[in-house]
Amino acid sequence: MDFEFSEDEVRFRDSVKEFCKRYIEPRWVEIDEKGRIPVDLIKKMGEQGLFNIPISEEYSGMGGTITMAAIAAEEIAYHDPSVATAVYTLLNNGWPLLVERYSDEDVKKEILPKVAAGEAFYGIASTESYGGSDVAGIKTTAVKKNGVWILNGEKIYISGIREIQELPVGGGYFLVAKTGKPEYGHKNITAFNLIIKWNGKIRQGWKPTIFDEIGRRGISTGGFILENFEIEDKYRIGEENKGFYYLMEGFNVARILVAAATIGSGRWALDQAIEWIKTRRLFEGRPLASFQGVSFKLSELYGDLEAARLLTYRAAWLADKIYIEKNPKWKQKDLNIPVALCKMKAPEATTKIYEELMKWYGAYAYTKDCNAFRGWLGTFSYTIGAEGAQNIMRIIIARDLIGREYVKG
Amino acid sequence: MKILTPIKLTVDISQLKYESSGEPLMDIAPRKMGDSDKCAVEEAVRLKEKYNAHTVAVTIGSTSDHERIIRDAYAMGIDEGYIVEVNESENLNAITVGEIVKSMVEMTGPYDVVILGAGSLDTHSYTLGPIIAAKMNIPIIAGVDSLNYNEQYFEARCVMEEGTYLYRLKPPLVVTVTTEVNQPRIPTLKTILKSKKMEIKRLKIEDLKVKPEKIDLVNLTKYVIQRKNIIWDASKDLEKATESLFKLLVSEV
Repeated sequence: MDFEFSEDEVRFRDSVKEFCKRYIEPRWVEIDEKGRIPVDLIKKMGEQGLFNIPISEEYSGMGGTITMAAIAAEEIAYHDPSVATAVYTLLNNGWPLLVERYSDEDVKKEILPKVAAGEAFYGIASTESYGGSDVAGIKTTAVKKNGVWILNGEKIYISGIREIQELPVGGGYFLVAKTGKPEYGHKNITAFNLIIKWNGKIRQGWKPTIFDEIGRRGISTGGFILENFEIEDKYRIGEENKGFYYLMEGFNVARILVAAATIGSGRWALDQAIEWIKTRRLFEGRPLASFQGVSFKLSELYGDLEAARLLTYRAAWLADKIYIEKNPKWKQKDLNIPVALCKMKAPEATTKIYEELMKWYGAYAYTKDCNAFRGWLGTFSYTIGAEGAQNIMRIIIARDLIGREYVKG
Repeated sequence: MKILTPIKLTVDISQLKYESSGEPLMDIAPRKMGDSDKCAVEEAVRLKEKYNAHTVAVTIGSTSDHERIIRDAYAMGIDEGYIVEVNESENLNAITVGEIVKSMVEMTGPYDVVILGAGSLDTHSYTLGPIIAAKMNIPIIAGVDSLNYNEQYFEARCVMEEGTYLYRLKPPLVVTVTTEVNQPRIPTLKTILKSKKMEIKRLKIEDLKVKPEKIDLVNLTKYVIQRKNIIWDASKDLEKATESLFKLLVSEV
């Protein structure tokens, strides 16, 4: 057993840190305040090779791993603890992996280089207003007529709505829609590359809206209505009616990367906490850290974060074995518990750190002069439900531990 | 054009930790390529990109960290890297290092220009560049803030206290650069992975026929400024305390 990162991983982490210190850290508060990641920064991140990390060089990827994508998400979130920039990064690392694995050859060559360059966004459009956790219950439909799919429906709480419109090329989503009889449940879902804007041109039948979110404001979240939106069959992902399985594969990677991002933000919060309790003096000049009520709590918070970090990189390591190395020793189902565990633990460990940090700061933390709230609200998004509700993670774990027949969703 | 860039493994002072007495914990301090050496590598790579130059980096030492900084130079775009292996316990002085670089040039050269950092992060003696130039008997432009080449001569700008100097020199020459000369590129994942596959050539100090020069260190005194630890109680008379503070500051200037 070896708990050390490889030399390549260490050097990559160093390079991401250096990039973040130079280009992200000085702008993170502005990103959160203004509610947007500047297009020039996205382009620079593309030039630095921070998107399509686990994708092969043949398709303009970086030839790296899911572990490396997690390292990037963690470090970027440390330097933008609101996690907006990290979320942009992780979306454009996790979901393009499905394009590489299951899309047509010419579609891969069309989409992936533009995502890698930071000229196009590629995210996930699965959630609908009927309930994000019930993926099998989606209502959006896709009907094939004369070799073209016609999509109708509505997606909600989707990241990247504004970015697609603002980036020079545009972008789209990994989208799932019903393609068969409703009674087939999750076995009548097909996945598509929903290209909304390409080479600057927005396609017909897409009506977007953007929400005013309370946290990780740098990346936009909104929804859209599809009205007779047409997609050529070549943009279908994989086999018809197997979209649910591809989606679960995508969530496996996305949840690892989300966990890594929240850990990066949590590390930042913990560093702020340590600095504060060492320097803040009260009750006859005693540092806050000298009170056991504070220092013991800090140890617990650190322990929870470190445990979540180990779970996250263990899941990333296993995902690399399955998806990158394609090692037959492991199957996708082996990822169920490791992925659900890291997604369950990491955001909760981090939001707990923010809650304590803000209590230690006192009233200052309740003002916008103190930036802790930006990290708190940003990471809180992942305890609410983004990339899978926490109770869905518990269901996944319980199903594997006890048996599907005992645990209903 | 052929360019040699000697690089030094130095303590990463940004990550230095200290004892409660204030002594730095050198044994556990991480090591990295020196900041101005990194600028020298960047300058060499820019010349390579513009004039199709061949770039070579060399470092002296025997640890895995030395290998890492050569790989870091590869990841920035250097074509060929050497490690001159020396005994870990040998504390080489600048004269010996200059001799090693000179022998390197004779063995792997000729080079049009040797570019290195003006001063290292740890010793800051600014002596290595001039020593290399003296041993090779070629001119030097030291402390360069901006460097250009017009296919005939190098043009270098050096900002000094008394003014800005502009030098023009034909190769071969030695150039030492400050951290003002450029902003070094950050290696990407692709270049990091590529650098892992590149060969690092190894030479022993004996191969270069260099005998370490002995210099006795007579005395080394740290430059220490003691804190004055003066505290003014401003709770009763803020104005008076402020005035006393300013009086002291003025008297210190």
